[in-house]
Amino acid sequence: MSASNEVPAKAERWLQPPGRSYEAINELVSAPLLKRKKWSWKFWWIAFMASLALTALMLVCISWLFTKGVGLWGVNTTNVWGFAIANYVWWIGIGNAGTLISAMLLLMRQRWRASINRFAEAMTLFAAGIAGLFPILHLGRPLYFYWLVPYPNTMALWPQWRSALIWDFWAILSYILFSILFWYSGLIPDLACVRDRAKTPGARFWFGVFALGWRGSARHWQIYHVYHTTMACLGVPLVISLHSVVGLDFAASLMPGWSETIYPPYFVVGAMYSGFTMVIALAAAVRWGFSLQALITVDHFDVMAKILLAASIIMSISYMTEWFGAWYSGEHEERSLVAYEFRGHYRALYYAMLFCNCFLPQIFWFRAARRNIALVVVVGLVINIGMWLERINIVWITLSHGYAVSMWRVFHPTYWDYLLMFSSLGLFALLYLLLCRLAPIVSMHETRRLLSQEAQQ
Amino acid sequence: MSFAPDRRDALKLLAMGATAALGACGPPEEEIVPYVEMPEGLTPGVPMQFTTALPLSGYARGALVTSYEGRPTRIEGNPRHPASLGACDIFAQAEIMTLYNPDRAKAVLNEGNLSSWEDFEKALLSQMQIERGRRGSKLTILTGRVTSPTMVRQIQALLKSFPGAQWRRYEPIHDDAEISGATMAFGRPLLPIPRLDQAAVVVSLDADPLGPGPYQLAYAYAFAQKRLARKGVIQFGRLYAVESCLSLTGANSDERLALPPHLIRGFIVDIANRLGAKLPQEALGDDASRFAAAVVEDLKANPGHGVFLVGRGQPAETHALCHWINRALKAPVDYFPPVDPVASTHVDSLRGLVEDIDNGRVESLFIIGCNPAYAAPGELAVDDAIAKVPFSAYHGLYDDETAARCKWRLPLSHTLESWSDLRALDGAVSVVQPLIRPLYDTRTAHQLLALMGGMLSASSYQLVRETLQARAPRDFETHWRQWLHDGIIQGSANAPLAPPNVTLPHMDPLQAPRGPSLTFAPDPSIWDGSYANNAWLQECPKPTTKEVWGNSIHISPSDAAANDLEEGDIVTLRRGEHSLEAPVNIVQGQAAGVLGATLGYGRRRAGAIGEGLGFDAYKLMPIGTPWAAHNVALSRTGARSTILRTQRSFHLAPERREIYPTVTLQGFTEGNIDISERRGLPTLLPEWEYDSYKWAMSIDNTLCIGCNACLVACRSENNVPVVGPIEVSMGREMHWLRVDVYYRDEPTPLGFQPVPCMHCEKAPCEPVCPVEASVHDSEGLNVQVYNRCIGTRFCQSNCPYKVRRFNFFGYATDDVYANLHAQSFDAQFNPDVTVRSRGVMEKCTYCLQRISRARRTAEKENRRIAEGEIVTACQAACPTRAIIFGDLSNADGKVSQLRNEPQHYEMLGHLGTRPRTTYLAAIENPNPALREKEE
Amino acid sequence: MAQIFRPYADSVARVVMIAILVLPFAIVGIAYGVMWSPYITGQHLTLEQPVPFSHEHHAGQLGLDCRYCHTSVEKAAFASVPPTHTCMTCHSQLFTNAELLAPVRKSFAEHMPIKWTRVNRLPAYVYFDHSIHIAKGVGCSTCHGRVDRMPLVQQASPLTMAWCLACHRDPAPHLRPREEIFNMSWSPPGDQEQKGSDLVERYHIRIDHLSDCSVCHR
Repeated sequence: MSASNEVPAKAERWLQPPGRSYEAINELVSAPLLKRKKWSWKFWWIAFMASLALTALMLVCISWLFTKGVGLWGVNTTNVWGFAIANYVWWIGIGNAGTLISAMLLLMRQRWRASINRFAEAMTLFAAGIAGLFPILHLGRPLYFYWLVPYPNTMALWPQWRSALIWDFWAILSYILFSILFWYSGLIPDLACVRDRAKTPGARFWFGVFALGWRGSARHWQIYHVYHTTMACLGVPLVISLHSVVGLDFAASLMPGWSETIYPPYFVVGAMYSGFTMVIALAAAVRWGFSLQALITVDHFDVMAKILLAASIIMSISYMTEWFGAWYSGEHEERSLVAYEFRGHYRALYYAMLFCNCFLPQIFWFRAARRNIALVVVVGLVINIGMWLERINIVWITLSHGYAVSMWRVFHPTYWDYLLMFSSLGLFALLYLLLCRLAPIVSMHETRRLLSQEAQQ
Repeated sequence: MSFAPDRRDALKLLAMGATAALGACGPPEEEIVPYVEMPEGLTPGVPMQFTTALPLSGYARGALVTSYEGRPTRIEGNPRHPASLGACDIFAQAEIMTLYNPDRAKAVLNEGNLSSWEDFEKALLSQMQIERGRRGSKLTILTGRVTSPTMVRQIQALLKSFPGAQWRRYEPIHDDAEISGATMAFGRPLLPIPRLDQAAVVVSLDADPLGPGPYQLAYAYAFAQKRLARKGVIQFGRLYAVESCLSLTGANSDERLALPPHLIRGFIVDIANRLGAKLPQEALGDDASRFAAAVVEDLKANPGHGVFLVGRGQPAETHALCHWINRALKAPVDYFPPVDPVASTHVDSLRGLVEDIDNGRVESLFIIGCNPAYAAPGELAVDDAIAKVPFSAYHGLYDDETAARCKWRLPLSHTLESWSDLRALDGAVSVVQPLIRPLYDTRTAHQLLALMGGMLSASSYQLVRETLQARAPRDFETHWRQWLHDGIIQGSANAPLAPPNVTLPHMDPLQAPRGPSLTFAPDPSIWDGSYANNAWLQECPKPTTKEVWGNSIHISPSDAAANDLEEGDIVTLRRGEHSLEAPVNIVQGQAAGVLGATLGYGRRRAGAIGEGLGFDAYKLMPIGTPWAAHNVALSRTGARSTILRTQRSFHLAPERREIYPTVTLQGFTEGNIDISERRGLPTLLPEWEYDSYKWAMSIDNTLCIGCNACLVACRSENNVPVVGPIEVSMGREMHWLRVDVYYRDEPTPLGFQPVPCMHCEKAPCEPVCPVEASVHDSEGLNVQVYNRCIGTRFCQSNCPYKVRRFNFFGYATDDVYANLHAQSFDAQFNPDVTVRSRGVMEKCTYCLQRISRARRTAEKENRRIAEGEIVTACQAACPTRAIIFGDLSNADGKVSQLRNEPQHYEMLGHLGTRPRTTYLAAIENPNPALREKEE
Repeated sequence: MAQIFRPYADSVARVVMIAILVLPFAIVGIAYGVMWSPYITGQHLTLEQPVPFSHEHHAGQLGLDCRYCHTSVEKAAFASVPPTHTCMTCHSQLFTNAELLAPVRKSFAEHMPIKWTRVNRLPAYVYFDHSIHIAKGVGCSTCHGRVDRMPLVQQASPLTMAWCLACHRDPAPHLRPREEIFNMSWSPPGDQEQKGSDLVERYHIRIDHLSDCSVCHR
């Protein structure tokens, strides 16, 4: 990696564009879109083909699932939930971070967000979309998923508002709509910028269409900032409510290990945790792929690693709170559940989870570790695996060790479970690669702003 | 009178039933297919009930069969019949599945080629001519146990006209030892039937009165009469069980002792000596003799109310000695003349046949309704013998192992398709009437026998009437109608004989076996193998081990450790030149040095369901001692296989006892019952208002003997699909009602607990369903609306009792095990219950269809539903009446009263679910003498 | 540099944005309309029948009582379509060789049933019981319409769940006195409101129970 390890002057931590000019930033970002010839797309094509294949596989999985039924998976009478739910929670978690980052950091005046918020928000969009898919695939009769919608019908029936799944439905729907708006509106000035730099009529036309006639007038900018900040203010509570509701899917039950008040906040942090690791991975990829070392600096990774560290500590505390709560409740079911976590059939997974989420991240106490991009990325990915393990543990352990002792059974995943899970990653990658070709992957106007702010100091 | 449409009708009606009532969605344009002539007394869509009797090993159990448009769908017990008393065992209920089974023999086969009854008649007539020439000297008829008066009459007529002919009779699950034991003791064969309802002390030595069998229901009912502990009323006996393998009787005993067969003989000798017989004492361990002492003490404390039972596994002299003891105790036992007309023992009878064949004394052989080529001791090699006979005809339900060895294979009509008559163990006669005309080109045994006698087109109906004419010379028609209505001929049971004098048998010393013994028992799910092709029964978990779709060698933990075997290890058992391979299953309560095997598996020609499951234990069955092979060699193969079971057997952790609490009778009488339960906890949810009925169920764990009758009843009543072995191994069996089994603390080894839906008033499944498919109704039922369910499965994941079942695949329609892709199975569906499609959750509904029917009837008559008017399927089948269903709003209703019993509790009540299904804790009655000494 | 867009582009943009807001609702609205239409419900459709049996003639002009053919309507769930025998009770004397009746005679002779096409069809998971409705004062024409005026019988009501529930939630407006149940021409009197609630009393109808799922679904 080309990252230098000494700290730049405080003012210039986040950006080192050549000549520190706005033009340089525009050039850096828009080049892949406008000067394609000058670019080697070899790795892009390799990645694209790979993800295309995985996406095709996902379609196969889904169509076979619809023809045969959820019996294809390892779900059984006791563990009626399985991968589909874990994957859903995992994806929605990743889906959280983007908006969390850009909205919350925006409100907190964390200027460095400028370089990463664009693809973080895009990540949100795609992840949330994929997440929204899993609950539908999970259904026994997926073709009736729309019964969750309160639409006028000849049965004179409504959905059941007491069910956490309905809250969930609304949470996801509103969140996806919000993310689209937030991301797209942030994109508009840049689209206009690209439109103006474009040479070919095609490019000018299409970027023009989506730039919605942005002229960059003072009034535009004024409206834009008010609007964007307002959206951010809406966004933060929305993000938090979304994952709290996901937490309620479990917390609103009475099963041991699920019905815990800690779930909503603990899920929100978990989401941010896994989300950030994904952002780090993407940041590294974008930085390398479009050689944006000037816009995404080592310091970005440094701060994000710090956030991971903080999150890992909160997660560890949450786990301990669970154990304590189980003991303090005095309910033998709760206690024996915790015992089962450590000694039961899934103990290996549970220990792996603790290692990934609690112990490994502690190396970020060391500055050197935080500033070694490769290490940060790897650790991030390991954490992300750990977060998936956490979700599957939540589902499996409680269901396998509930109140009805005679019905205790364990979950044996089938290869369909795995295929669907991995192929969904392919779809995510595919969407992402397409984005790189179609839109500026880093927010030019915000980085330009950041540059000016740095200059002023 | 009975209505039976011809086959064409049956299929038309089937179509009508399907379009009008079944869940299966038809084509966009549906048809209505009315009758051409409306059958008398029939209203489309309104079920009719007819009485009949069904045989198990030849003995009758009375049945009430429900039929829709001439389509039998459901079998329940006939309250008037002494061997069913209103209850119904799993075999009888599953006969429906056999009736519609597509694997049934459908046409006459000659040397395996399609033929016809006409061809057979020709061949038969010429063959009988030859036999007539030699006065039938080379003619043999082989049957199972025959109790049908008509059939006996026909066979005896044949024997008269063919004096040289032989009638052989062999029943795989036979009672040779009982009979010869009785002969030894009384000088004549007698059938002892203990009156368990009058016995304060019951000692069962390798006997299994509560286990599967033709008289199980009656025994279980009687047993339950001595198992009653209520406020005020306490009629409670004590059951001792001394046995080698864990039987249902042993599982329900108060004091149990596991001994190998030969020590059990020693045990009874010891008892006899303590009661004054002066027999040479036999080897017996300290525990055993202490146990014996305690038993004798108990017996002396209850003069005239103690009874001994000995199982078929024990030798004749043990039985004789048992009779002597019972006489000495003035035990409540009835002695009946045997119903079975054949004197010789079953094994001799069959051995005789084989010898005859080997000596060329058999040239025409007729095998009627039994399968000796499979279900007989391996060393007899019956199948090879049969193949040698020049003219052999097999008349059976399936094209099975025996059929394969016979020249002619004749399809037999199912009991539900036949006119006949049958007798129960006590001799009571009932008329068997058909519920449907034969589905295929089959004939009854009566018709075949008539044919052999030269009657070409005999009707079973006439034959049966002729037989029974004698019972009512005057005004026969009225009686006949009465008999059909009652399902039993009143007063036809044998009168118990005055107990004859008994002679103390001479017990010649026997030496203890060196190697392990292998004991044989009928399989609790498929009996002697004749039910092997019945999917309901194959998937019916065996009471004590919960095995399905196969059998295993049961071995005691100590023996397993000695041979370092784990569950599923495949071992080889060798006895002489015969050997078999089978997986072992480690069973607590199995006597050390004894291996247990159940019969009926390893079928070679059973049909799509029954073939290739488990191992054939008949192979190792010796001729001399049919129920135990001694000195078998056991060696492990190193191979492994998983034993399919729907549940592990385990002890409940002390803090989880609230699921299945137990109370000692002493504690109950003294009133110190500590059932740690927290009931009626406060709730934030709004209270429901129940202004009409409040349906509830109460289950008495003390009375449940784990016979599975309820489980099969539920399956049959509610169209619960079979899922097959692979799905079971995935943990997806569908039984709405499961019978949980727990290892209790010693003394009593097992506790049984039927678990249907709890129908909670604060049901966790209701608020979580996003589409309100799981809802509460105004009578407190927790109903599942299949057509609204989208299959989020949130309800089941949030159900603390895990009583909901999900259609992961289209089990009821698409799956092979649903119907073997044969339409005939569809006829078995209950048209009042939706057939669930793939992807929907289902569960116990308290037999909602029955509630609704009763409610509509009552509302039409502007009255309330009366107490006991609604009987759920599980309740109807239960032989001990452990399940009671009723209306809580009726304060003096049975359910309300049971809720006031001191041992009443709610399962997991501390969750505040307010279940409507509640339990009465199991009460056990250990012998304090034995307890103390142990401490 | 040249303009990319002409001025009308603005209008296009506006239209698109409005469409994005409006379309989803419009689609749902249209779908809802379709679900109520005869195309889906099968209401008022005349179906091909093996014998063009005219209720107008038999029930209307001849004035045969419904129960003459639909014998079990008072005792059972199915009103039951009459066996061929019933037709022949008259048609062995009347129109004995009318071409129209050939299928009936054929059926009777060959002992093969007539295959009628079902007109009023409920899903298999709906357990409708004629007898209880009649017992509780719901007349034939309330659901089946003026059958006595149908040359070929049609489905008079949409038979949607909403339609069923409308009455199950508030039966009073539809209830009749016993003697009026088989009267095709009955129409609610002026004071039906009063009469209806009286009838609810008289028939002991527990309205709050009528909308339990378990009433129709099992």
